[in-house]
Amino acid sequence: MHIKGLMFDPYNNTYVVVLHDEKHSDMLPIWVGKSEAGSISMAMENVTPPRPMTHDFMHSFLDAYNAKVISVVITDLSEHTYFAKIHLMYEDSEYTVDARPSDAIALALRCNAPVFARDTVITKQNSEEFDQWLENLKPEDFGKLDS
Amino acid sequence: MSTANPPSEQGLVEYRVARILEEANTDTRIVVLAKQDNALVTFPIWVGAAEGNAIKLALDGTITPRPMSHDLIKSFAEHLSVTIQRVVIADVKSSTYYATVYVTNKGVERKIDARPSDAISLALRAQCPIYITEDVLTRRSTTNLDAWLSKLEPKDIGTPEVQET
Repeated sequence: MHIKGLMFDPYNNTYVVVLHDEKHSDMLPIWVGKSEAGSISMAMENVTPPRPMTHDFMHSFLDAYNAKVISVVITDLSEHTYFAKIHLMYEDSEYTVDARPSDAIALALRCNAPVFARDTVITKQNSEEFDQWLENLKPEDFGKLDS
Repeated sequence: MSTANPPSEQGLVEYRVARILEEANTDTRIVVLAKQDNALVTFPIWVGAAEGNAIKLALDGTITPRPMSHDLIKSFAEHLSVTIQRVVIADVKSSTYYATVYVTNKGVERKIDARPSDAISLALRAQCPIYITEDVLTRRSTTNLDAWLSKLEPKDIGTPEVQET
C-alpha cells in the first residue's frame, strides 16, 4: 500500500491516514491521533525536527543494532480498531512485533520499508464506516487532503 | 531504583517521576521529577499532551489494548536482547532539554539521543533509573517555571493536583 495522504476528520476531531494500493482500486483509511498524524506528516515531508521525535528515536534505536524493518503489515480490523505487525531482520533472524498501525506507518516511512494490508482488512473495512463517513464529507473538507 | 553498576559518567543525580500535572487550557503537561533520595527537591519538565499522557500511562501501570509507541520500543529491545540501562537528561539549550538513552547488548554500551519525554516514558516501562547531570541541574531552565508561576492566581494555590502517586 502507498500512503496517499493525511487528512483531518472534522466529525471525529481526529486524523485519517489514507492508504491505497498500486492500482488505486482499494483504499484503506486509518484513523490516528494528532501526535501520530504529526509524526507521519513529518516523515512524509522529510522534515528533520531539531530533536528526535518518538519514531526518529525508534529508528535510531533499530539502526544502532543494525536491525532492519523489512515490512509492516496492517493485519486486522476489529471493532473499528486496526492492528499491525512490524517485520524486523536482525542478525539473520526475522522477528515480528505487534504495533499500532500509526506507529508501524510512521516507522516504515522513516525506514523506507513497504506497507502492506491483508486482503481481509480491506474487505472488512469496505463494509464498515468509511462509505458512510465519505458521504458525510462536504466539498470543503477535501481541500485538507495533504498529499 | 539504583543500578548495580553505577554510571561511568560523573555528576549524575538520580530522579524519579513524582507526578504529571495538567495545565488548564493548554496542550502541555508538566512532568515533575523528584530527587530519588529527597522528594522535596523537584525538577519540572514541560512536555506535550501526548507525551505527558504516555508517561502517565506508564506511571499508573495502565495496560492498553494495543501497544503504545514506547511499549513498541520496549518490545523491540526485548526482541533484540537489548537492555535499557538508564536515561540521562544531559543538556539544556534555550529552555529545551536533551536526553540520552543508554542501552547495552552483549556487554557493549551504546547511547541514543532522545527527547526527555521519550526517555522518561521508556525508563518507566523498562524500569531503569533516570538521572539528571549536575551541569543541567545548575543551568536548569527557569523560563517556563517563572512564566507559569506568574500566571498563577491566588485561587489556583491549593487546588488539588491532577494526579498523585
